[in-house]
Amino acid sequence: MTSRRSLALILALAFVLTGCGGTSAGGTAQREVRIAAASDLKFALEELQPLLDAQHPGVVMRTTYGSSGTFLQQLSNGAPFDVFLSADLAFPQQLADAGLAPQTDVFPYAVGRLVLWTPEGSEVDPARGLGVLTDPGVRRIAIANPQHAPYGRAAVAALRSNVLYDQVQSKLVLGESVSQAAEFVQSGSADAGIVAMSLVLSDPLQDQGRWAEVPLTDFPELLQGGVVLERAQDPAAARAVRDTLLSEPGRALLRRYGFFLPDSDR
Amino acid sequence: MDWQAVVLSLRLALATTVILLVIAIPLAGWLSFTRARWTVLVEAVVALPLVLPPTVLGYYVLVSLGGNSAIGRWWEDLTGRTLAFSFTGLLIASVLYSLPFAVQPLLAAFAGVDRRLLEASSVLGRSGLATLLRVVLPLSKAGLATAAVLTFAHTVGEFGVVLMVGGNIPGQTRTISISVYDSVQSFDYATAGRTSLLLLAFSLVVLTLTYALQRGRGPQVGAAWARR
Amino acid sequence: MGPPVSAHDQGVPLLDAHVRRHVVDAHLVLPSEGGQVTALFGPSGAGKTTVLRVLAGLERTSGHVRFDGRTWDDGRTFVPSRHRRLGYLFQDAALFPHLDVDANVAYGLAGLPRPERPARVAEALVAAGATHLAGRRVPELSGGEAQRVALARALAPRPGLLLLDEPLSALDTPTRVRLRAELRRVLTAQRVPTVLVTHDRAEALALADRVVVLIDGRVHQVGSPQEVFERPADAAVAAVVGVETAVPGRVGPSHDGLTALSVAGRTLHAVHDSDLPAGTEVLVCVRAEDVALHLPDGAPQGSPRNRLPGRVTALLDEGPLVRVELDCGFALFAYVTRQSAAELALGIGHEVVAAVKSPAVHLVVRGLPEGSRAI
Repeated sequence: MTSRRSLALILALAFVLTGCGGTSAGGTAQREVRIAAASDLKFALEELQPLLDAQHPGVVMRTTYGSSGTFLQQLSNGAPFDVFLSADLAFPQQLADAGLAPQTDVFPYAVGRLVLWTPEGSEVDPARGLGVLTDPGVRRIAIANPQHAPYGRAAVAALRSNVLYDQVQSKLVLGESVSQAAEFVQSGSADAGIVAMSLVLSDPLQDQGRWAEVPLTDFPELLQGGVVLERAQDPAAARAVRDTLLSEPGRALLRRYGFFLPDSDR
Repeated sequence: MDWQAVVLSLRLALATTVILLVIAIPLAGWLSFTRARWTVLVEAVVALPLVLPPTVLGYYVLVSLGGNSAIGRWWEDLTGRTLAFSFTGLLIASVLYSLPFAVQPLLAAFAGVDRRLLEASSVLGRSGLATLLRVVLPLSKAGLATAAVLTFAHTVGEFGVVLMVGGNIPGQTRTISISVYDSVQSFDYATAGRTSLLLLAFSLVVLTLTYALQRGRGPQVGAAWARR
Repeated sequence: MGPPVSAHDQGVPLLDAHVRRHVVDAHLVLPSEGGQVTALFGPSGAGKTTVLRVLAGLERTSGHVRFDGRTWDDGRTFVPSRHRRLGYLFQDAALFPHLDVDANVAYGLAGLPRPERPARVAEALVAAGATHLAGRRVPELSGGEAQRVALARALAPRPGLLLLDEPLSALDTPTRVRLRAELRRVLTAQRVPTVLVTHDRAEALALADRVVVLIDGRVHQVGSPQEVFERPADAAVAAVVGVETAVPGRVGPSHDGLTALSVAGRTLHAVHDSDLPAGTEVLVCVRAEDVALHLPDGAPQGSPRNRLPGRVTALLDEGPLVRVELDCGFALFAYVTRQSAAELALGIGHEVVAAVKSPAVHLVVRGLPEGSRAI
């Protein structure tokens, strides 16, 4: 009967569609490395691919950016990534402790810096320091969500050490990641924000608004660490990415984006 | 324009629609024609995705399919890949999320089918399933089309569930809605704008089509004819 | 109340159903001699359709239904409709609107190998007089045509039991009358045991071999149409059927719009608008109110064409009226007022003359003579 035939056709179609589960990872020519990267690395990491091509031809990065804490959750639940570049060291360490990565593969790669940033056209001058946030003209302050973003935690720490937290707490707007916090500032939805320096140094945001660095002494060191995961489908390629990041050209790249390096002077 | 995301979204929507129709037709048939009392409970469960926040649904899906769950581990043993953060996991979540959009138009359409036609079919020797496929469905074409169209469109627009269950993996789970979100996060408003406009135009077309379908068909053929 | 049916023939009855559902508590038995048409007759709301639906398996009963040795429904077992090999005709045909006539008729033939189906469909269409409708689309059919197709659809699987739910009530009068005669012919030819539900007196008279009177969910009387309509068992039945003389007769020659009828050796004249072929079997019906009585030596003039001498065999007081039963060669009933009865000094055994106007003689066609065309 026609209805039975249509049914068979539909089922066949369904099987075909679900059978192909996304793009096949890694052709024979290209070796893909899937990276989960903290969002403050957004623009810096993009410039790593050319370096990677030079040092390890054939290795291609496929990067997803987001908040480090969220990645920790996903990785703990089996998210298919090969390398995790976090905005702190504790998260990768937790993964290693949980047996999802070899302890020896946890590596620090940068030290993050915080800035106070105000949007284009704002009268608030960040050079006056964090105290400017108590101004009545500053109604909304964007930071990353301290619950899962290391930059958010650092921002809160900075506010506390300046004894400002209680005063401005009600004005805080939490971004899902530090780049979303920056987006709030850039769009003018927030009057000011405490975000990563690497973001305000990037091309899209460079000449917008004004920013001033938050003194490193105001918050615990943002030592950013990464790890190559146990389940990496091509561990050699994954380590290639790590090596490139830690190589001289890689470090120079990070420095260009305002990062300090773990073992060098500030 | 992130064409990979567009293609992924379309694939997801198409697969969800096909699978959901296969599930929803017998389910709507049972709900419409059974005399069991507890259909209200089933109807409520089916309607849950309408009121539950997508993140809540995503959370439960993640918990049941993730690497720490029995199903997730079974799948990993079977295929070597995770169920969460994969297209398949997303497909399962989409099917659950769009379930009421498939079932409810079918229920409405089935309600318009003259019950005596079902009785006639039964007396003439057909089982319930045969009656559903040979009598009810052909007389519910408008409802079927609406269910398909709504399911498709609803799946394309998914965000919260995809975020929770999908993980934003390019090519696998980065759908068009996630792509827009990503673009904004990267301060690439131009791309975000283009993609959003595409989605907006698509949704408008879908809705227009749905209303046209409903208007064009008019009252169900079975019921109208019975009044002769 | 009222006696349950007691038409037990030798052996097991074909259908034995005790229907207890909602307001209905009725015991129905069909004898095993094949091909009988049993009418469930009664006013609306009497539960007739409920009984039919229980027989069909569309509803359950707390009693029992046994057919041809199989138990279809009792407290424990239940055989669903689709396993009962039934034919069911709905009031408004209930054809599948998305299928054409042939597909409708073939719908119940799933158990038949495919190559054999077209032949069976053609056979069913012929039986229902619907061959000219083959290939047509359902929305194009008139009410009468749809019912023919529905009948063909019900007959195609060669059912063991045929159930008709007021099959003609939804039709307009001319169609109904025409189809009634046809239906009788089809049912007689098919010889399938049939249960027919109707509230229409003429339908019951035309189609049934046996009538079961159902009032308020209870069986009040069972018998031949003649029995039930001439001799109602109780006041309730009488109220529902009306007292009528209903005797078999045969059509004779027609002349000037007047049809002669041969009834038990006597001749009656009736006015009938269409020409019935001579030899047609009919039931001749005269309402008791339409029968006037004269004394034999009274004036023979006046308009009524039918004058039937006869003898009074029974008198029954019914309030202001008296029901008089006469023997005119056949049983004839008349209602006269008490005063008139007194004036005529009516008594058992008296000779009187019954006068019946031709328009008051109603004909119900029961069978067409051999070789005649369908109406």
